[in-house]
Amino acid sequence: MAERMIEFRDALREAMSEAMREDPKVFLIGEEVAEYNGAYKVSRGMLEEFGPRRIIDAPISETGFAGLGIGAAMMGLKPIVEFMSWSFSLVAADQILNNAPKMLYMSGGQLQCPIVFRGNDGAGGQLGSTHSWCVESLYANVPGLKMVIPSDPYDAKGLLAAAIADPDPVFCLESERMLSMTGDVPEASYTLPIGKAIIRRPGTDCTIVSFGRPVHFCMEAAEQLAKEGIDCEVIDGRSVKPLDIDTIAESVRKTNCCVVVDQSWSFASVGSEVAAEVHRICFDDLDNHVHRVHNDDVPAPYAHNLEAEMLPNARKICEAVRSVTYNA
Amino acid sequence: MPIDITMPRLSDTMEKGTIIKWHVAAGDEVSSGDVLADVETDKATMEMQSFDDGKVERIAVKEGEPVDVGTVVAILLEEDESPEDAAVAQNQPVAAAPAATVESSSPAAVPAPEAQRSRAGNLKLTPVARRLAEEHGIDPASLVGSGPGGRIVKRDVLAAVGTSTETRSAVPPSAAPTPATQSQPVVIDPVPTPAVPVTAVQPVSTASTNSDIIAIPGSLQSHSEPLSNMRQTIAARLVQSKQSIPHYQVSASFNVDPLLALRKSLNQQLEGTGSKISVNDLVVRACALAMYANPLMNASWGGDSIVYNGAVNIGVAIALPVESGGGLVVATIRDADRKSIRVISAETRALSEKAKTRGLTVDEMADSTFTISNLGMFGVDDFTAIINPPNSAILAVGGAIQKPVVRDGELAVGHEMKVTLSNDHRVIDGATAAQYLVSLREYIENPAQILV
Amino acid sequence: MDVTTVMSSSPSTQEAARAKTPIPGPEVLVKWLRDMMLIREFEVRCMQAYQNKLAGGFLHVYNGQEAVAVGCIAALQSDDPVITAYRDHGHALARGMDPKIGMAELFGRIGGCAKGKGGSMHFFDVTNHMYGGHGIVGAQTPVGAGLAFATQYEDEVINKRPNSRVTLCFLGDGALNQGAFHEACNLAKVLNIPVIYVVENNQYAMGTAIDRCTSAADQLTKKALAYDMDAIEVDGMDVIKTYCDMKALVDDVRANPRPAFVDMKCYRYKGHSMSDPRKYRTHEEEQSYESQDPIDTLSKFMLKTGVLEEPAIKAMSKEVRTEIRAAVKWAEESPEPDISELYHDVYVEQWGPYTGTSFPQFMQDESKGGS
Repeated sequence: MAERMIEFRDALREAMSEAMREDPKVFLIGEEVAEYNGAYKVSRGMLEEFGPRRIIDAPISETGFAGLGIGAAMMGLKPIVEFMSWSFSLVAADQILNNAPKMLYMSGGQLQCPIVFRGNDGAGGQLGSTHSWCVESLYANVPGLKMVIPSDPYDAKGLLAAAIADPDPVFCLESERMLSMTGDVPEASYTLPIGKAIIRRPGTDCTIVSFGRPVHFCMEAAEQLAKEGIDCEVIDGRSVKPLDIDTIAESVRKTNCCVVVDQSWSFASVGSEVAAEVHRICFDDLDNHVHRVHNDDVPAPYAHNLEAEMLPNARKICEAVRSVTYNA
Repeated sequence: MPIDITMPRLSDTMEKGTIIKWHVAAGDEVSSGDVLADVETDKATMEMQSFDDGKVERIAVKEGEPVDVGTVVAILLEEDESPEDAAVAQNQPVAAAPAATVESSSPAAVPAPEAQRSRAGNLKLTPVARRLAEEHGIDPASLVGSGPGGRIVKRDVLAAVGTSTETRSAVPPSAAPTPATQSQPVVIDPVPTPAVPVTAVQPVSTASTNSDIIAIPGSLQSHSEPLSNMRQTIAARLVQSKQSIPHYQVSASFNVDPLLALRKSLNQQLEGTGSKISVNDLVVRACALAMYANPLMNASWGGDSIVYNGAVNIGVAIALPVESGGGLVVATIRDADRKSIRVISAETRALSEKAKTRGLTVDEMADSTFTISNLGMFGVDDFTAIINPPNSAILAVGGAIQKPVVRDGELAVGHEMKVTLSNDHRVIDGATAAQYLVSLREYIENPAQILV
Repeated sequence: MDVTTVMSSSPSTQEAARAKTPIPGPEVLVKWLRDMMLIREFEVRCMQAYQNKLAGGFLHVYNGQEAVAVGCIAALQSDDPVITAYRDHGHALARGMDPKIGMAELFGRIGGCAKGKGGSMHFFDVTNHMYGGHGIVGAQTPVGAGLAFATQYEDEVINKRPNSRVTLCFLGDGALNQGAFHEACNLAKVLNIPVIYVVENNQYAMGTAIDRCTSAADQLTKKALAYDMDAIEVDGMDVIKTYCDMKALVDDVRANPRPAFVDMKCYRYKGHSMSDPRKYRTHEEEQSYESQDPIDTLSKFMLKTGVLEEPAIKAMSKEVRTEIRAAVKWAEESPEPDISELYHDVYVEQWGPYTGTSFPQFMQDESKGGS
């Protein structure tokens, strides 16, 4: 098969469009998704194909349209709710955290909530602290939701397609900084299993676990470290929830060392969860405590150099790997 | 009740012991305090004494068979007991002697987890290092950690096992000699089975198979022998030392004519006293005295610190006779800087004698701060030695060789002795090592100072 | 008559619109009376159970507001979705929930509508189109818009037919000050969603009188003006008036899908919850409303019009008491949920410790009975 290189944003759109062609219960609602063609052009052309009843421009009113999506999902529709940025989802926190993930439980199994919330997560680039949210740690704390973080166009299509098909609420965390990334994406529909990690690079000396955009920093670090004689295994978790701890643990049993790279803040985070699980499951296999690379524990700054320093990067990952393998 | 005599725990780290010689046999009467056997531990050969009076009913463990601490090695009958009592007792579970009796013949038997855990409490070692050490039967206490604060990490254990990650992945397990020889027990059947793949590192004689080979007296036979505890310890410690300590060497040649003259003169004076000073004795004291100006040479690597030792305890490597299994131990001459040549000489001789016959106690081998290995008596010119942790340096001493030398610009015949200092670069830099050799030369070439 | 004109015009025009809606026949009135009695008795027994520690958590009873739930829901089709906040027992019962299922939920038993996982504030009965029971003030209002969006979408977008359903989304007057409500109204209007926001204006946001916390307290319909929504005031103490006003509005919204707003005037006899000493209002005030009790009002109307005789009403009251007593007994006998329920209904599919989901027993029984 010839390669078909498309952008991350187009891969997302393909997942949505294919689902919408397949199932009339699927619709898209969000700010600027229709006539504007998407604030980030993810939904470009969808209004034309599906019309205004299924591609719905919402007012700037996250609580309103997130809650509307939840109600629609309770009635059996399959809404895709786009947050222009997950940073804006905070004003809808009650809806997305209190209603969507708990509806099944509170109703004793009577009401499912098959909804997808998706949008840009992570520092977009000098957007300052209110717009640079990494919500994964905050939201993954809540039982009843699932969370996927694609790191390339292929995963973007496969994971979003799986999210739409999933009967539970799924949070799909994309990255503004990756939307223009191109990758080989099959034209045909496909889904990737939610809750299954992938080994991006096999290695023997140290396991590096990450999600989403920082996976690329991990790969960069692994190349550098290979030159130093440290052979890293890079695992792209793909899903935060369910977390594929089995794949991670299997790797750590082999390497005996683990670094977790998480673009959210360290306290009570996805990174600390992975670390705790690795410590629990792989205790007798560890040659050092799990090391973590996170955003620095400060609000995201505006200045270019400060922001670059605050985010996880290859240098920090290299340092962590050297330290965890006693090569510091 | 008959008394179970169990393998005693004779060192803090001992998990297994091997009775290398029984001093009693079934039927012998023994009293409390009698030596029952010599036991080789992970560190030394020790005496096992009886704590009761009675008659040896049975010896339960053969010589040379390693068993776990706590295993019943013999059964003692008290005065009014009969062998039947022992038979009854045998069928009862013995709390002090776990089932290890049966499994003890396997050297790989895993030590009791309780023992492992209690010891691990005093050591800093990572979980995987602890697990690997257990799997390979390595006593973690024998390892020096290369991690922060001396933490024993995976590579330290692997180094001790002799398979670092690199070599492990480079050499597939099938290429290791052990499985090959196991599948071809030469003792039983010297003709190899063709089905067994011949690997590169297989012993040569089994590879060159020819049933017509005529046995030549004194020629070699391929076979394998299980490692003695001492050999295991030597293997583990030295591999670990060589792989985890950044070694480098600095050599020098000393004019030993004055030293030999002094020795001759001293020995003439001591004639009839039973004392006899060796070159090595003088080197021991010279090395000790040279520490004053070079305290780093007497220091240890502490992981996150350098530990300067106040006492100067010189370890002297002693080769053990091949007849009794060979190997090597390091006897410690404590406070060698404060002892006279005569005392050093007497101590060294006594320890060497004891090492070769009865074995040294743990105390007699502990706490060295610097080691000397002398192969001069074999006519060796020079060699390099592997550092004996936690020392930071070891001096390899060659023979005092008569050779043409240049003295005061003139060609002459004199004696030179070559020494090679192996150093831990984490502690000792090249200039420091060189400076130490300058100090040492000062003493060796002006030996009167050694006596002061 | 176009309800829109009613909204913006004088009360007398609304009166006229109500007059257009015929009062239902005796059978319906009897049912309403019985439903209101059932709700009242249910709430009384809830309070008793609460004090006997059979029920835990928060308990918000509906005494005094029975006409609202019964009258509004009577104006609906059976498949019109209903959603409300945490004072939800009345709506669930009016929508047809079996009282024993509700009582078991209150007691935290497996036989409850949510298997004992929801409690008093989360009465769900999807077979009767009751979508909860929501604990956070105002949070159900965007969700209500979503329910209505979905029914309309199913009709108009998927099945290409006219809108056939109307959603009633109840909220308290205190919820008027939640942002979620305003976002929901705006969105509903922008998208023309057939949802009616029924503000059960019992005049207290917990312990705070409405004029102390809500602007335009004397005329809440002004709130709807901001969203260009139709709005009416309804007497929620009289089930017939409630029904007639709501019926006209519901039918109109069904035919012309759009959101609407109802200021449903009523009174909460009891405190906000069981721990409320009601020090913020006078005994006289409470008595004045209790004298307009909706059950008495309907009973008197029925006696006056000869629909029912006094003994029949007494018999009905006794019958209801017996039914609720049986419900309490049934609930008490229902086992506590098995501990395994803890990991059930968290996710639809099994993974990790989660064991998937299943309908509560009463729905399984219904589907068996139905097949």
